[in-house]
Amino acid sequence: MDLENITGPIARRTFLRTATGLIAATIVSPGAVQAKERSNDSKAGRPGVAPHLIDARKKVTGAKFYARDFYARDVKGWPKEQWYALYLCATTTRRPFLDVNMSGLPSDAMPAKVILGNNLTASIRAPALRYTRDFMVEQTSLAHIQREAALTLGGRFSSPIGADLLVKPGATPTFLGQGVALLLFSTLAAYRAARRAMQFRDDDFQVYGPDNGGAPGAPVPYSPQTQYVKYFRDGENFSYATRDDNAYKQSAPTYRAKIIDYLKSHEGELFRQPVTLDTQAMDPMFMEPETGLSWHNKDAQRLELLLGTQSPDGDIATISSMFGATDSPIKLTEIRLTNCPPGGAFGGRDASPFTLLLALVAPFAEGHPVRLMHDRFDQFRLGLKRPGAKMTGAITVGSDMSLQCVQMTMNFNGGGLKNLSPYVANLAALAVGGAYAIPMASIDAQSMQSQDIPGGSQRGFGGPEAFFAIETALDDIAAAKSWDPLALRRANLAQSTTATVVGGQFNQELRLNEILDKTEAHPLWAQRANLKAEFAARGETYGTGFALSAQAYGTSADGVVAAIHFDKNGSITIRTDAVDFGNGSSTTLSVVVGPILGVNAQAVVAGDYTLFGQTGLAASYTPDWDNPLSTAKGVGSSSACLTGFHQVHVVQETARAFMQSAILPAARLLWNRPHVAYEDVAWVEGRLSAKRGDLEPLTHARLAQAIYSHGLPSGVLGHAFFQGGWVSGSYAIAGSPITLELDGLTLYSSADGGRNRIDRTKTGKPLASALRSSRTVWAPCANIVGLVVDRSTGTVRIENVASILNAGHVHVPELVSGQSQGGVAMAIGYTLLEDMPDGLAGPASGAWNLNRYHVPRMADVPHRSRYKRGHRAQELITLPETPQDSGRGRGIAEAVMCSIAPAISNALRDALGVRYSSLPITPAKILSGLQQ
Amino acid sequence: MTIGFAVNGVACNVGDERRDEKLIDFLHEDLNLTGTKLCCGIAICRACTVSLKKPPNRDATPILACSTPLWMVNGAKVTTIEGVAPGDSLAPIQDAFLKDFSFQCGYCTPGFVMAAQILLDHLASAPRKPVDLDAQIESALGGHICRCTGYVRYFEAVKSTAEIILRGKS
Repeated sequence: MDLENITGPIARRTFLRTATGLIAATIVSPGAVQAKERSNDSKAGRPGVAPHLIDARKKVTGAKFYARDFYARDVKGWPKEQWYALYLCATTTRRPFLDVNMSGLPSDAMPAKVILGNNLTASIRAPALRYTRDFMVEQTSLAHIQREAALTLGGRFSSPIGADLLVKPGATPTFLGQGVALLLFSTLAAYRAARRAMQFRDDDFQVYGPDNGGAPGAPVPYSPQTQYVKYFRDGENFSYATRDDNAYKQSAPTYRAKIIDYLKSHEGELFRQPVTLDTQAMDPMFMEPETGLSWHNKDAQRLELLLGTQSPDGDIATISSMFGATDSPIKLTEIRLTNCPPGGAFGGRDASPFTLLLALVAPFAEGHPVRLMHDRFDQFRLGLKRPGAKMTGAITVGSDMSLQCVQMTMNFNGGGLKNLSPYVANLAALAVGGAYAIPMASIDAQSMQSQDIPGGSQRGFGGPEAFFAIETALDDIAAAKSWDPLALRRANLAQSTTATVVGGQFNQELRLNEILDKTEAHPLWAQRANLKAEFAARGETYGTGFALSAQAYGTSADGVVAAIHFDKNGSITIRTDAVDFGNGSSTTLSVVVGPILGVNAQAVVAGDYTLFGQTGLAASYTPDWDNPLSTAKGVGSSSACLTGFHQVHVVQETARAFMQSAILPAARLLWNRPHVAYEDVAWVEGRLSAKRGDLEPLTHARLAQAIYSHGLPSGVLGHAFFQGGWVSGSYAIAGSPITLELDGLTLYSSADGGRNRIDRTKTGKPLASALRSSRTVWAPCANIVGLVVDRSTGTVRIENVASILNAGHVHVPELVSGQSQGGVAMAIGYTLLEDMPDGLAGPASGAWNLNRYHVPRMADVPHRSRYKRGHRAQELITLPETPQDSGRGRGIAEAVMCSIAPAISNALRDALGVRYSSLPITPAKILSGLQQ
Repeated sequence: MTIGFAVNGVACNVGDERRDEKLIDFLHEDLNLTGTKLCCGIAICRACTVSLKKPPNRDATPILACSTPLWMVNGAKVTTIEGVAPGDSLAPIQDAFLKDFSFQCGYCTPGFVMAAQILLDHLASAPRKPVDLDAQIESALGGHICRCTGYVRYFEAVKSTAEIILRGKS
C-alpha cells in the first residue's frame, strides 16, 4: 500500500524560529482516515453515538497503520533503497568510552558507517529541549524556564537535555543505555547479521578505559523542584496558591517551622502515622516497539520522519533546535513528520528520546531513508519508564478523625535524560494530599538525575505513587485507632470549595460522599466479612481493600484548538491538536458534534499542531485579555485525559460557531426566512428542520450546496483556553454577536479556503487564582478490591474490583469502560507483577524482555464486567451526571488506575494483617512480610 | 532444495539458505504483509499469532511467527490476519471485536483474531458444552497480552461469538 493512500491532505505548515533562521514544520497525519460506518451496524449514522472506534476496521484487518508497518518503499516520493540503523548502548558509567571494536563482526555484518559522538556538533549531540507544552503551567516553572532560556538558544525557552545522545570518545557515559555509537547498514542482511552477532555481547564491541568512579558528587535534581507548604490554621491561609512567587518562597521556611511547632505542641492530641514507601520503575510496555523511518532530502534541505509519537509538536521543535543551531553542518528548511497512530503509548512516547535518535540517523545515510526499529530488548533498554519513587513522611490526624497535616518527601528517579519527570513529581506533590481537606502540608517532590534509564510521564503522572502513600496511611491510621476506614475518609472529604495542599480550591463538584455511599452499599464492601468467612471455610485467605483518589487532569492552564470543515457533499472533517494512540479521542470527537451538527464527523485528523498557527493568536505568559489576539497558551499536553473535557469543549464550541456562521445562514437562504434563529431549528432524522414543522427539512448535502454557492464559510477554527474556567468572548457572526467559550475564532472561506478571523470582544477572563492552584479539574474514583492470597506461595489472585467513578457526562460509554478495564489491568501489573531493578541488574543490560518483565494476562485480571457473588469481575459504576456537569465529561484515562495499588495493599492488610509498602508486592515480599 | 508453503492461498518458495529466517520477517519483508505484529520477538506475547495447517493434522494450529523458522512451515498452509476474511468482508470474530470496542491501540488485535478464529473453528467442528466455554477461551487466549483494554471486552466478544456458533450446533 502506498502511504499516500492512507494520509489525508498535508497539514498546513508552521514555522519555527531557530538560531539560523526559520524551519518549516509540517505534520502529515495518517490518522486522517475515514470513519466508515457499515450499513449492517445498527448504531451507524446516529448522531452522538459511536458504532465503533475510528480506525477499528484497519486494526481488526491488519491494514498498514502503525509506523512499524511502513518501509521506505511504501512512502511515495522516497528512494526505495532503505538503510538500517543500530545504536550501541553504554554498559558502564564508571569508565570512559574510548571506541568501538568491530573486529568481532563477521564480514557480512559490517556496517557501512560508524558514527561516534565526536562526529557530531555540540547542538546535535545534546539538543536543547524546547518548552512548548505543559511545562510552563506555573509561575515557578515560568521563572525557571526564563532563567534557562537566558542561557540557551537566545531566549527560545529551551534547556539542555541533560546528557549527550552519543558519548564522545574519552568521555564517561552518564547513564546506562546512553548511545556510544551509531551503526548504519546499507542492507537488511548486514543489519540482521550484525544484530545476531552483537546481541547480548556489548562488551565485545565497545572499548572502555579504566574505572574512574564515574561522575563525582551527589545526585542532582532536575529542575524545577516542587515545594508545597500550606498552613491554613489560626486565621492564616499561607500556601503556594495564596501568595505570589516571591512571598511564597520567602515565607515558606517560616511556615514549615510553624507546622513543626504546631505538631509538637499538640503532640498529645494528635496521632502521627509515619509513611515510608517505595515504588518501582515501570515500563509502559506498549505493544509496538518504537520504530521509525528517517530521510534527509539534501536537495530540498528537508528532514522527513515517519513514526508514532505522542508529542509531535515538542519533537519537531527539539529537532529544529538540533539542526537549526549555528554549529549544525546540516542545513534544513523543513522538517516533515508523518505521525502514525502509536501501537500503545501510555506516556511512553511523550517526548521520547527515540524521536531524536531517529532524527540523528538520516543525515549520515548518504541520501537513503533509514529505518530505526527497536526490538523488545531495545525497548526495555531505551524506552522511557515510569520513574521509581521513594516517599517518606507522615500523616497526622486529630482525635476527632480530622486530618491535620501531610508531610511528605517524594524523590523520583528521573534517569539520565531530562524528560517530564520533574513535572510528574510536581503533580504527585498535589495528589499526595488526596481527596481531603487537610489544613497543613509540607511536601517536597523532585526528580533526581541518575545513571538509570530516563524516566518520563506514564499513565497516572505521579498519581499512582501519591495515592498509594496517602490511601495506605489512612487505612493504617484507621486500624491503629480502631476507626472504620470509610468513616475516617468521610470525615475529611474535600468539597469544591476545599483548598488542596497547594492552597487553591478544588473548584469542581467532586461528589465524594456519593462515591462513599455507593461503596458502602456495594456487596463487595457491605458483605466483606461474610466473603472472608466463606473463603476461610474453603481454606483460603481473603481480604477486602478500599482506596479513593481524585486524580487531576489537564494542567492549570490548557490551550486547545480544533477546526471543523464541511465539504461540498456535506461531510464533516474535524482537525484537532489532540494526539491519539487508541483512537478513543478521535472517536469521541467525531460523535460529540453529532447533536450540534446533525451528523457525526466522517473523519478526524488528530495531532495537527499547525492549527494554532492558523488562529492568528499570540500566546503569552502574561496575556492581555483585552487584546483580541492575545491568549495564554497555544496547545498543550497530548494526554488522553484531555479529551473528555478539554478537547470535547473546543470541538463542540467550534461546531456551535459553524452552526451559527454557516449552517443557519444557509438554511435561511434556502427557506427564504432571514430571521430564523438558532432556537427555531432542530435536527430531525439527520435533516435540519424547523421546530414548528412549517419548512422543508434540509439535508447536509443541500446545506453544503448552499454554503458553497453563496460563499458562506465552509469551516471554522476555534481556540479555547481553560484556567479554572473557559475564557469566553463575543463574536460577530452573520451580523449578530454570539457568545462562545472560545478565545479565538476564524472562518474558512468556501471559495478559496482563506481565513477570516473574527475578533474577540467582551472577553470573559480566566480565573486568575487558578494559575497557582496547580489543578482545578478532577476525576474522583474509588476502588474496592477483593483478593485471595496464598499463604504458602505468596501469590495473590484478584477476585473482584468495583470502581466507582465520577466521569461527568459519558460521551462514549464503551470507551470509558475500556479505559477503566485497561487501567485496572495495568494497575494490577504495577502493584503485583511488573518489576525492574535499576542499574545493570535491570533492562539497562539489554537482556530484558517479557520473559523477565511480567505484565498481566487474562488470568491475572477478572474479566467479567458485572459483579456476581462467586465469580470474578471488575465492575465500573459511573455516577449519573448532574446539572453541574453541564454535559461535560471528565478526563478519566488515569482516574481508575490511581487507587488500585493502595486498595490492593489495603486488602492484603485486611487479609494478612501486614502492611506491604514496597511495590511491586511480589510473592517473595508477601512471604517475607508473613515471617516478620 | 526449496522450502514451499502457502500464505493466504498464495504459493511461496524460498531457498534452503533461508531456512532459519523467521516467518514474521518473511511476511513483512518479502510479502509486505505487515498485519502480523512483532512485539516481544521471543514467543511470549502472542501478538504475532498466525494460523498453520500442516499435514497430517487437519485442524489449524496457532503458531508464533516471531519464533517460527521458515523450515518449519515447509508444506504448510499459513493464514495471516490479511487472509481471515475475503475482500472487504469481516469474519464474525473481527466484527465482534470491532463492535464491542474490544481493543484500543489495536496492535495486539491480529493475534487475538487469529487465535480466536482457530478456537471458533474448533468449536464449530467439535462443539463443547457452554459451561466449558470460559475455560476454552482462557485456554486459547489466556496467553495473549493486551496492554490497553484489559481483556474484558476481548473475552466477552469471543464468548458471544462462540455462543452463537454453539447455538447453531445444538
